[in-house]
Amino acid sequence: MKNIVSVNQVHKNYTLGTFVVHALRGVSLDVAEGEFLAIAGPSGSGKTTLLNLIGCVDTPSEGTVQIDGNPTHVMSERQLTRLRLHTIGFIFQSFNLVSVLSVFQNVELPLLLQRSAGAKERRSRVEALLDRVGIREYTSHRPSELSGGQRQRVAIARALVTRPQLVLADEPTANLDSVTGTNILDLMKELNRTEKTTFIFSTHDARVWSYASSVVRLADGQLVDRVSAEEAVRVGGVGGLPSSARTT
Amino acid sequence: MRGYLDTLKVIVVIAFRNLFASWLKTLIVGGIILFGSALVVVGTSLVDSIDGSMSRSIIGSVAGHIQVYNAKSADELAVMGSFQMERADLEQIDDFKKLRETLLAVANVKAVVPMGLSGAMVPAGNTVDVMLEKLRDLVRRQQAGEDVKSAIESQKDHVKQIVDVLATDMANVGKVLTDKATTPEELAAIKRATAPGFWSGFDKDPLATLEFLENRIAPLASDADMLFLRYIGTDPAAFAKSFDRMKIVDGTTIPPGKRGFLFAKWTYEEQVKLKTARRLDLIRDGILKRGKTIATDLDLQRMVKQNATEVKEIMLQLDSQQKAMFKTKLQKALGSKDDDVANLLADFFRVNDSNIMERYKFFYDELAPSLTLYRVRVGDTLTIKGFTKSGYVQSVNLRVYGTFAFEGLEDSNLAGALNLMDLVSFRELYGFSTPERAKEIAAIKANAGIKEIDRDKVEAELFGGGGDDSAAAATAAVENADDVLRGLGAKGKREKMEDKSYDPAQLEQGVILNAAVIVNDPRRIRQTMHDIEAAGDKAGFSLKAIDWQKASGLVGQFVTMIRAVLYVSVLIIFAVALVIINNALVMATLERMAEIGTLRAVGAQRRFLLGMLVVETLAVGALFGGLGSLLGVGIIGLMRLRGLPASNDTLYFLFSGPRLFPGLSPVNIAIALFIVLMVSAISSIYPGLLAMRVSPRQAMQADE
Repeated sequence: MKNIVSVNQVHKNYTLGTFVVHALRGVSLDVAEGEFLAIAGPSGSGKTTLLNLIGCVDTPSEGTVQIDGNPTHVMSERQLTRLRLHTIGFIFQSFNLVSVLSVFQNVELPLLLQRSAGAKERRSRVEALLDRVGIREYTSHRPSELSGGQRQRVAIARALVTRPQLVLADEPTANLDSVTGTNILDLMKELNRTEKTTFIFSTHDARVWSYASSVVRLADGQLVDRVSAEEAVRVGGVGGLPSSARTT
Repeated sequence: MRGYLDTLKVIVVIAFRNLFASWLKTLIVGGIILFGSALVVVGTSLVDSIDGSMSRSIIGSVAGHIQVYNAKSADELAVMGSFQMERADLEQIDDFKKLRETLLAVANVKAVVPMGLSGAMVPAGNTVDVMLEKLRDLVRRQQAGEDVKSAIESQKDHVKQIVDVLATDMANVGKVLTDKATTPEELAAIKRATAPGFWSGFDKDPLATLEFLENRIAPLASDADMLFLRYIGTDPAAFAKSFDRMKIVDGTTIPPGKRGFLFAKWTYEEQVKLKTARRLDLIRDGILKRGKTIATDLDLQRMVKQNATEVKEIMLQLDSQQKAMFKTKLQKALGSKDDDVANLLADFFRVNDSNIMERYKFFYDELAPSLTLYRVRVGDTLTIKGFTKSGYVQSVNLRVYGTFAFEGLEDSNLAGALNLMDLVSFRELYGFSTPERAKEIAAIKANAGIKEIDRDKVEAELFGGGGDDSAAAATAAVENADDVLRGLGAKGKREKMEDKSYDPAQLEQGVILNAAVIVNDPRRIRQTMHDIEAAGDKAGFSLKAIDWQKASGLVGQFVTMIRAVLYVSVLIIFAVALVIINNALVMATLERMAEIGTLRAVGAQRRFLLGMLVVETLAVGALFGGLGSLLGVGIIGLMRLRGLPASNDTLYFLFSGPRLFPGLSPVNIAIALFIVLMVSAISSIYPGLLAMRVSPRQAMQADE
């Protein structure tokens, strides 16, 4: 199966004043189409940095990232933006809906940015998705009028409306209670299955690993291992990782 | 295309919703924009209207659209006067006829009016002088055998009254000031004039007594104001035709071919009228036309006070009969028992808001008929002494034919400061030669046997060698002297100068200092000025053409000054607006980092964000700028209902009348909207750049 994501020996350094933070230290990772991949690891392990690189919102300091065969390190800002618009969907920990737009307008926004679909097509696609994520009746509500789970459903609909090949979710359940979190994961999983969309999500919540087709574990900016969901659940949290895997 | 429209729609939706979301900020920014744009609309409308009305005033009174003068002149022409009292040093233009023909051939030129501007001090004679002159005239007639005894007695009585007034006055001055204020000679003169035997001395030797009174007593009456008159020498008919706002108020215009003088009505009232009466007029006008009250207006209070203290001017005019009549009338009117007319008059002039109208009427109905209200009257002859260009004194006698004013500018000091005389007299006063004079001089030369000789032959001519007839010629010259003197005597009997006519063609021929040009299309003034200078060069004149604004000197710069002040205040307001809008947007951008980051992450290009901010500010600008402009239109509309009153003489001129009815043109609104939108666009640049720099990573770091 074709790799939608190919991360090769990636380093990412941030400068904080005079202090250099090595967020990623030589991470390599391939993600095949249709995967439902979880990136696990404690806070500061580099999950978000890795997702940023895959999501084309950041470029590596060293190494290469290829998305659907596009090497991001040689692409311009405009090209990266276009790649994000057409290939990637985003689901954020804090939902990040545009507060002044209605549910419908939030979901429609990426289609408007794409400028490819007509009003009628946009309407049908948005409504179908809202149906799908179960918030059709809230079409004209503002995000502030919705619960956390409902907002994340809107965010999922927004991420999927362009029919991206890849959806990135940064701790999608972190701000939700466990029941709602489970519902959201169920929804994502179902979409993964029916739409064949690749999902990569980061989490430090061991309970959600069981949803993943495989789990990539990060610690201190390095890839510890890549295991099946069952294996990951069995080994347990990051604390259960072999000490040899931990770098200093 | 539709895709763009839809994207624009979402930008507009986001922008508007953001504006509503932070409505307080929107209102503050909007308020400033509203105020600024209203100011621009009202300010530019007012300034434009004043510009228009003032240009009507200037163009319609003396300047015309364009003034033309000799480019070689040392000074610049300023028809409305400048800081200097001296007249501008202008070179003459020799041949007006040719100039006129040259200028009329230029496209857009409608009329050319010849002019010259100058000023002179004119003695108008004080009351005492006038009375003494009358007395002297009567004495002469008596000596010639006429029976004017009773008239002399009455006139003598008046002079006695005058001496009394002056004596009282001097005594009063002595009380207040030290003796040094009056010289011993003055005291002695008054003492002699009030001595019991003085008037019997008059009957014995009237002429000697008159001389004493004229030389010693008359100077004590200090109301002998010189009139300072600025005048234009012009072709009166052409002037009246070209400046059609000009109207004759008293008398007639100067008849064609006649020398003469027309007072500007304002100058006539201000300088020639009895001061007390003039002030009474001004107090009444201040109340009726400008809504002032004596109780609150310092200017009116000052005039009331002056009238009450300066009754001497009236007292000098009264003989004993009139004095008695004034006493009776004033006692009755004031319900007073005071016997002193001076006190009664002072009391009478101490007016207040409740009795001013009644006393004004009483003054003109009951008192004024016995008074000489104007020192110079229509029909009188005015002797104008002016300094010629080369510095010697030249004088002409001119009949005052009347007074004139410009329609709508009757109360304006600026339009009313220039009097009018015929150009022929002007040329004489200015020292230009006229054909008439040249003829006269030639005649004198011929009579006196003067002949012109070449400079290099002077010696030969004077000391012989040039021929032996020189001695004979000299003798002949001496013999001729008698004839010359006889000839001069004969000239003394010729008709009076002021009654002499001249050939109207003289107006055309000969020199002028400047000329007013009236054009057909005022919008093409610049081009016409250029054409005039070019035509002048071609015709051998060296001409300078200036527009009315420049020609009017300081006055014309006034609007430019107001405009500058307005623009500076507008600039300041919008600079403040710019900073505030900028800050508000920067704050909004910082607050919306996560949202902007999210938009970037889901695929919005930078220009989308820039567009969002620009639309936001433009929307605020357009909405509040539009409202502000509407407010401005409303304010101008209110002003138009009643008009802005001209509260002083200068405003009267600027408004071209008692009230300004400001006009409104779409240009004023367009300017306001343009400025507002520019400011909005500019103030969104920095926040726009800031928003464009927001990384999509910001979306990941967001907390809700």
